[in-house]
Amino acid sequence: MKSIKILMAIMALLSSTAINAQIKNTKTESVKIYGNCQMCEVTIERVGNVKNEAEVDWNKETKMATITYDANLTNPDEILKRIALAGYDSDQFLAPDKAYAMLSECCQYERINKKETIMPNSSMKMEKHSEQPVKMESHANHGVEMGMKNGEKPSENIQMQNAGELQPVFDRYFDLKDALVQSDGKSASTAAKALVTAIGKVKMGELEPKTHEAWMVKMKALSENAEKISESTDADDQRVYFSGLSQPMYELMKLSTAGPTVYYQKCPMYNNGKGANWLSKESSIKNPYYGSMMMTCGSTVEKIN
Amino acid sequence: MKVNKNISKASQLIVVLILLNTNLYAQKVVRYDLYVKDTLVNFSGKEKRAIAVNGQIPMPTLTFTEGDTAEIYVHNQLKESTSLHWHGLFLPNKEDGVPFLTQMPIEPGTTHKYTFPIIQHGTHWYHSHSGLQEQIGMYGSMILKKREDDPGLRAGIDDIPTVPIILSEWTDYKPENVHRMLHNASDWFAIKKGTTQSYAEAIREGHFKTKVANEWKRMLAMDVSDIYYDRFLINGKNESQLSQFKAGDRVRLQISNGGASSYFWLTYAAGKMTVVANDGNDVDPVEVDRLIIGVSETYDVIVTIPAENTSYEFLATAEDRTKSASIYIGSGIKQLVSPLPKLKYFEGMKMMNDMMKMNGDMNDMGMNMSLQQMDMNTVMYPEISGEKKPMKMDEMPEMDMKNMDHSSNGSSNTDIVTLNYAMLKSPTKTTLPASAPVREMRFELTGNMNRYVWSMDNKVLSESDKILIKKGEIVRITLFNNSMMRHPMHLHGHDFRVINGQGEYAPLKNVMDIMPMETNVIEFEANVEGDWFFHCHILYHMMAGMNRVFSYEKQEPNPLLPDKNWAYKKLQKESNQLHLMAQNDFATNGNDGMAMLQNTRWSFGSEWRLGYNDEHGYESETHVGRYLGRMQWLMPFVGFDWRYRKLGHGEVEQNIFGQKSTKDNRAQFSVGVAYTLPMLFILQTEVYQDGNVRVQLRREDIPVSKRLRANFMVNTDKEYMVGLNYIAGKNIGFRTHYDSDMGFGVGLMLNY
Repeated sequence: MKSIKILMAIMALLSSTAINAQIKNTKTESVKIYGNCQMCEVTIERVGNVKNEAEVDWNKETKMATITYDANLTNPDEILKRIALAGYDSDQFLAPDKAYAMLSECCQYERINKKETIMPNSSMKMEKHSEQPVKMESHANHGVEMGMKNGEKPSENIQMQNAGELQPVFDRYFDLKDALVQSDGKSASTAAKALVTAIGKVKMGELEPKTHEAWMVKMKALSENAEKISESTDADDQRVYFSGLSQPMYELMKLSTAGPTVYYQKCPMYNNGKGANWLSKESSIKNPYYGSMMMTCGSTVEKIN
Repeated sequence: MKVNKNISKASQLIVVLILLNTNLYAQKVVRYDLYVKDTLVNFSGKEKRAIAVNGQIPMPTLTFTEGDTAEIYVHNQLKESTSLHWHGLFLPNKEDGVPFLTQMPIEPGTTHKYTFPIIQHGTHWYHSHSGLQEQIGMYGSMILKKREDDPGLRAGIDDIPTVPIILSEWTDYKPENVHRMLHNASDWFAIKKGTTQSYAEAIREGHFKTKVANEWKRMLAMDVSDIYYDRFLINGKNESQLSQFKAGDRVRLQISNGGASSYFWLTYAAGKMTVVANDGNDVDPVEVDRLIIGVSETYDVIVTIPAENTSYEFLATAEDRTKSASIYIGSGIKQLVSPLPKLKYFEGMKMMNDMMKMNGDMNDMGMNMSLQQMDMNTVMYPEISGEKKPMKMDEMPEMDMKNMDHSSNGSSNTDIVTLNYAMLKSPTKTTLPASAPVREMRFELTGNMNRYVWSMDNKVLSESDKILIKKGEIVRITLFNNSMMRHPMHLHGHDFRVINGQGEYAPLKNVMDIMPMETNVIEFEANVEGDWFFHCHILYHMMAGMNRVFSYEKQEPNPLLPDKNWAYKKLQKESNQLHLMAQNDFATNGNDGMAMLQNTRWSFGSEWRLGYNDEHGYESETHVGRYLGRMQWLMPFVGFDWRYRKLGHGEVEQNIFGQKSTKDNRAQFSVGVAYTLPMLFILQTEVYQDGNVRVQLRREDIPVSKRLRANFMVNTDKEYMVGLNYIAGKNIGFRTHYDSDMGFGVGLMLNY
């Protein structure tokens, strides 16, 4: 900060001569730009200035800026638009809400030019309540899950229904899946360890005959893949085994009729287009194979239960 | 079916008109006179040639009401021929406006009358179908209104204020030159856009391996669009305002993308937009945060003005996100919308590497990828997949926890609702007659970026006959995009159903955007006879031959086109023209250059190295070759070499095979083959008439840094060359090289 101040001081000293030397066809105007502090000043001037074209000098006390510009190359609107896109309102432009929200707390000036919304715009509502589960269906699964009502929330059923002996295994699987959606290798490793433990604790005798049979066949693949995942903390490595884990898990979930609704989903891109599947408690797509890179890539191939 | 019904309705109306002479349904003849004239425009600070109609760019908005009869007189005051195509309209074939397919070109100084009944409604547009005229101004909105008694009138949608919006782009380069540069794989546009994706940039971003893998698969730098534009325009302006609207108003924007090659992202500063129609056909309203409008598509979108004394920015951002155009809706202070962040090109390159097989095929995902639902480019969108790097500390000196939260929320947002084709649903049933016979077709969209060849099933129009269809049958087309670019495929004269999971309510469209690797199915009823164009609407892809013609069997002759066979040959020729490229390095040790004429398959090229004295010698190699295969990596050729170099007395040169030759005045014919190897090395093997063999390996244009290109050559005649050139301008550069014959040289390189 200090060095910036010194720099600013030097700039100020030099500016009177330097500006006029660089910018041709100069015009100077005084305009209001809303902001608070020293930091605002740095940002406003940094985004406003363009070499040989425009020079902005903002005063944080008066909120007035002197803009000097080459009238052949630019105009005040262009300069003020740049400044607004960085988060600072003027009497000509309002900053995008996102840009304003990105400003430091000390920079979040009072937006006196921003008018109240007078009409109940449904779109506004959507944005304000975006943390609610009632979200728009994301792109990829839109066509597939059209029939599902927004209010239908599968996770609510979880406490009520239980897949019995295998429930802990399923729960740990979903934890692991969520960790991979976040591309969080460490959490995935922890979740995989818990999954290995859960697999070990299953009392086969209490399973239904059909499930028992399937469990005997699938258990090895489950624990092997889960162990491999727990040994790594690199999400990309873990994903390879996760695809191997999801297949037998799907066979088991299919047999457990008592559990909550589960969605069998597919990412057709993974593994060079060979594709890979996963299971999720939500109908909307959150792709564990690519994480945020391709969050909504994929589609539901089967609704189980 | 709809068309027939409408025709009969229209004819009934005409009868009513004649008998009663009333204007009951506003059915009437609506006449427009369009004067097409050369003009000078200044969109970028430089005066350039353009074409204006009635003195304006875009062309005037033509408005009709369903039931009207259109009479449009085109007065060609240009020095070249022209034509006008009514995009998305159902009309008799001879009014469709494709020169050499449905009419003869409108010659300079003549007037052509188009006339057709208006039998549909919706947002459409019109443009020149001659050469590249669309790029320099010949596009305009065409709005067909519903009749006041239309049973399909929708309250709150059809009864609110409308504004026609036409999007376009401007380049200061002549479009013919743009086209030529694309065919010559010039990377000048990439330099202007900052998307060279050179090795230096790759290393800086930690993507060296990605770049190597990319070149190993013989790909050039990837991009979502090919051309650098100086300006993007909404209704002919980069920024404008609709100040007639006030708080509380709802406005229906009738948007057409009249750009020659640009897709646009549409976003709005007051939040969500409601899509109510697409390609002139109503769809059930859908609320979205943003949508991408393909080249030549139309969308009707309702926006609202939520606050007093504020105007809201409606932003059209080119898909490559280099620039944008804005229109502010409302009056008062301008509320801006966040611009779309720059693309992460190396992520895109990595994705491409994964998707493309070694033989140049894209992974075929079958129906898993369709209807724009899975945008592979998402990996490049920072607003969805997160910022490239965490924000620099100097930009956020006092980063507290609150801001950290913001940046993570703000930058990787998966809740943005983007429109895709699966979300489009017709409000009425669109099913086709169940009894009609169905003809199935499949097209693979193919392309070769390196040589800018765009085709279907690896055939360009000049290699394809018309596709015969029968009136009354249903044509069902499966399209698979096996190329690296997206293609907006447009069918003339018909709407097709897009099979998108909406069953009987499948939406009707006339342009289908198909992303790389996508497979989509469309179907239409063959109900208007004639010859109808089916093509990629990216102008430069169309001119490269990505076209087909559907021709009705046993159709009536077209009075405007007496010799159809001759005309079709002309049409075919138009999209397979020869392109010239030439360059010469005026160096201290001699002149080093080449000139080449190429079309889709053939290449006529000559290279020369001319020293300034006999010791350095003079040589030239001329090759006539034909590119084979879809990716065109193989080129057999015949050649003629001539060289003269004064060697020491009786001195003889020997190649590594022990074959001897004198360079002293040697003239030889040869046959050979050139093959593009991974890493874009070209391996050339040649046998001369005297039995000598030469094998040569070379690579040109290795992108070292943004403007620096390296090249090398080595061959079995023990000749070699290494060079480095700096691209200073579109046609100028500096080059330094060392040549085994001519030694070290520095020079000025000019290219065309």
